Amino acid sequence: MEDLARHLCDLAKRRGAEFADVRIARRSGESVLVQDGRADKLAASTDRGVGVRVLVGRCWGFASADSLQRRRGERCVADALALATASQAFVSDPAMIARPASVEAEDRSDPQVPPGAMPVAEKIARLLEYERCGRAAADAGSQIVNSVVSYAEAWREGVLANTAGTLVRTAGSRAVATCLFVATDGKILQRGTEHRGIVGGAELLRQTEPEAFGRRAAKKALAALKAKPAPAGRFTVLFHPSITGLLVHEALGHNAEADAVWAGQSILEGRLGDDLAAPGVSIYDDSTLPGRFGSFAYDSEGTPASRRPIIENGRLVGFLHSLETAAKFDAPPTGSARAQSYDCRPIVRMSNTFMASGHVPLEEMLRGVDRGVYLEDGHWGYVFVQKGQFICHAGQARMIENGALGEPLRDVSISSMTLDVLGNIDAVGDDFEMRMPGMCGKEGQSAPTDCGGPHVRVAGVVVGGQHGA
Amino acid sequence: MSRTDEQSYLDLATQCVEKAVRLGAEWCDVAAGTGRDIAVTIEKSGIKTADAGQGEDVAIRCYVGGGMGYATVSGRDRRDIDQAVRRAVALAKEATPDPDFRCLPSPQPRPEVDGLFDDAIAGLAVEQVVAIAVANIEAGKALEPDVNLSGHVGLSVGAAALASSTGIALASRATDVSADVSALLKRDGDTGYFYDFDFGRHLADCRLERVAETAVEGARRFLGARRIESRRMTLVLGPLASYGFLSQLVAAANAESIQRGRSYLCDKLGKPIASAHLTVVDDGLVPRGIRSGAHDGEGTRRRPLTVIQEGRLASLLHNSYTAGKAGVESTGHGTHACSISPTNLRPALGRKTAAEILRDVQDGIYLESGEIRPDPASGDISASIDFGFLVRDGHIVHPVENAMLGGSIFDLLERLDAVSSDARTEPGILMPTLRIQDVQIAGAE
Repeated sequence: MEDLARHLCDLAKRRGAEFADVRIARRSGESVLVQDGRADKLAASTDRGVGVRVLVGRCWGFASADSLQRRRGERCVADALALATASQAFVSDPAMIARPASVEAEDRSDPQVPPGAMPVAEKIARLLEYERCGRAAADAGSQIVNSVVSYAEAWREGVLANTAGTLVRTAGSRAVATCLFVATDGKILQRGTEHRGIVGGAELLRQTEPEAFGRRAAKKALAALKAKPAPAGRFTVLFHPSITGLLVHEALGHNAEADAVWAGQSILEGRLGDDLAAPGVSIYDDSTLPGRFGSFAYDSEGTPASRRPIIENGRLVGFLHSLETAAKFDAPPTGSARAQSYDCRPIVRMSNTFMASGHVPLEEMLRGVDRGVYLEDGHWGYVFVQKGQFICHAGQARMIENGALGEPLRDVSISSMTLDVLGNIDAVGDDFEMRMPGMCGKEGQSAPTDCGGPHVRVAGVVVGGQHGA
Repeated sequence: MSRTDEQSYLDLATQCVEKAVRLGAEWCDVAAGTGRDIAVTIEKSGIKTADAGQGEDVAIRCYVGGGMGYATVSGRDRRDIDQAVRRAVALAKEATPDPDFRCLPSPQPRPEVDGLFDDAIAGLAVEQVVAIAVANIEAGKALEPDVNLSGHVGLSVGAAALASSTGIALASRATDVSADVSALLKRDGDTGYFYDFDFGRHLADCRLERVAETAVEGARRFLGARRIESRRMTLVLGPLASYGFLSQLVAAANAESIQRGRSYLCDKLGKPIASAHLTVVDDGLVPRGIRSGAHDGEGTRRRPLTVIQEGRLASLLHNSYTAGKAGVESTGHGTHACSISPTNLRPALGRKTAAEILRDVQDGIYLESGEIRPDPASGDISASIDFGFLVRDGHIVHPVENAMLGGSIFDLLERLDAVSSDARTEPGILMPTLRIQDVQIAGAE
């Protein structure tokens, strides 16, 4: 792979590319799905190929092929050059790239359990145990009607080379496990889910205890049967750490991706150095955290991973950069360029994004709320960075009445504007949790990320409830 | 892609099936194909990058005792493919036997569906794709010189084959082309943002160069957004919003989710789930339709299916597994990866035009576009009004900012009181305007 990558870089340079990089990868994966007591679907995948990105004059070109044959790689070089050449007359914002330091490095994170080392039968047995434990949580008057428990692992090895002399060899794997239980009381259905994800392999199944995983997911579904529809309107909302990360990711993180900022698409354009939040609010993206789902040692352009401050003490201090946005902002690259695979261009992405802890105990945060909503268990969200309008969906929620947690609520989403929510944070908790591994989508690519934070209290958030407040 | 490509992939798929059966698969089907694509990215009202990709894939599905093993491999390396066949068979042997599995589909006479492949798209050079993107940029800037345009213009060309141990041997070619453009206008701290798109299987069916114009017109309309107070209001779903809403509803008629007991549509087959105004047909046979095909991913022939008939859940979407379990015929909505997917949705149109429907609204929200995603189990909705307008006395007043809607899917469907007689059309798809009375809206005012 290394020889091919270097050869294609040299070829691109000889044929006129001012800069080129080549990503070559081999991937393999295995997944197990257990449903209603049976191993329903066992799957495996293998994939390999090469992607070539070139900068010609003012424009980028990119071409990929699912082959490691030299001939196919050379064809990619020719195609990428032709694509860039055909487009460069119509560029309004000329492409640039920060002069990358030449790096030769190895980013290898071997899982404790190598791919294929744990027999499929053992994986099935473990998932069945999660399922059995969850189903046992049903009480009188309710039952679990469907359970879906899955595990997937993906191994990847690859090479990144560029015309500045960088060569980074990567090898590693990620593993994820998910539990879904659907419960009914005979009138309604409710779901409960749990997710785990690590940089690693099947050790995830050995580390994940059935009580804390299967049973916890089932109990969420069962508890939701007793929850009531939420009220609609503006409320003070208290975010549990299990959803603060989603808030940070959607409300701020995507807006801080420098490609969106440079393109004039982010509401943070022109705001660097502004005080956007209270002094106690600090938000970071950190790809160096050991074992976290969003972690890596080098990004897809060969820039070393780093801890990147976005907001420090309420002030917007930085964006997430690729080599290109670093050049355009005259800022240091932050190692935030990630490509889903060899067949995708690197784009600016988050890794592990979180709000740092503050000093306010939960009891004190609750005491300050006469009537509000307490959210837990972030499920999904999205944002329109152009408007700074976002939504977060919570798996669990409760009313707050007179400073105390009240009745449980079901199926609650909240929506707000990024600058409003930052400005309306009035308390940051003294606790912390980062346990929301997932896949973040952007421009058709998905990237493994994690996110977290402490309890956070925000005034004036819109709750999408079913009846008047 | 030539007919030779199709035959070549059919031969490959057939050889894989034969090998899997020799290795012990009781049932097997194999999908093999190739695709190439070109995508040109627009950013800051100029061309940002041009990308191209080419790939081949083989997917092997095997059953032993009803237990299923599945393996995919990219490329055409024979050793890799043989390894994947062995892996699929081995996994099927490790899966739990499933007495609910009956059989894979058998060969059937298949209907002809015209217009799935267009030589004009297959022959487009990258310079022509760039030219479409440039035409959009020029048209958008002609309307608003300072507009910030972003988006993509792209095409894909593919050939695919499916062979099975039951004797299915199918091959086909397909093309599609698309453009999507977002327009962002900034005026004294105010932001207007919207998008539009066009797509088709034939170049002649599309107006790809005009997408930026409608995106810019949309962005103009979204300038001046204001917040509203929470209250119950009439909700009008414009064509894009109604398509998203009905797509979610029809996707929930997935027979597997219902057989497993995890869907809000459990026990609803044959019963009313919506007002009598709503009839939705899923038709995968529409000539040139974007989701059309003579057969589904398992080789079952497609047929038009009335999913909702005057408010009653008339049919579920089946693949071969769920159909066998239920003792009915597959409806032709299976994918090769064992899931179930709708095709082209064609709601029955009503009597009033969209303009007449809006004219009757006293206090409402017109949702131009937005994701109304019910919880798959409970059917509860808590959604953002992403792109909406306040409507008073039959007129659009201003765009709304930071508002949400909530309710049960069944409440919304029951209060649906109008489907428009006119609709946005895309290849194979009809998108009318819908009106729903008495919906809880949450505002930031």
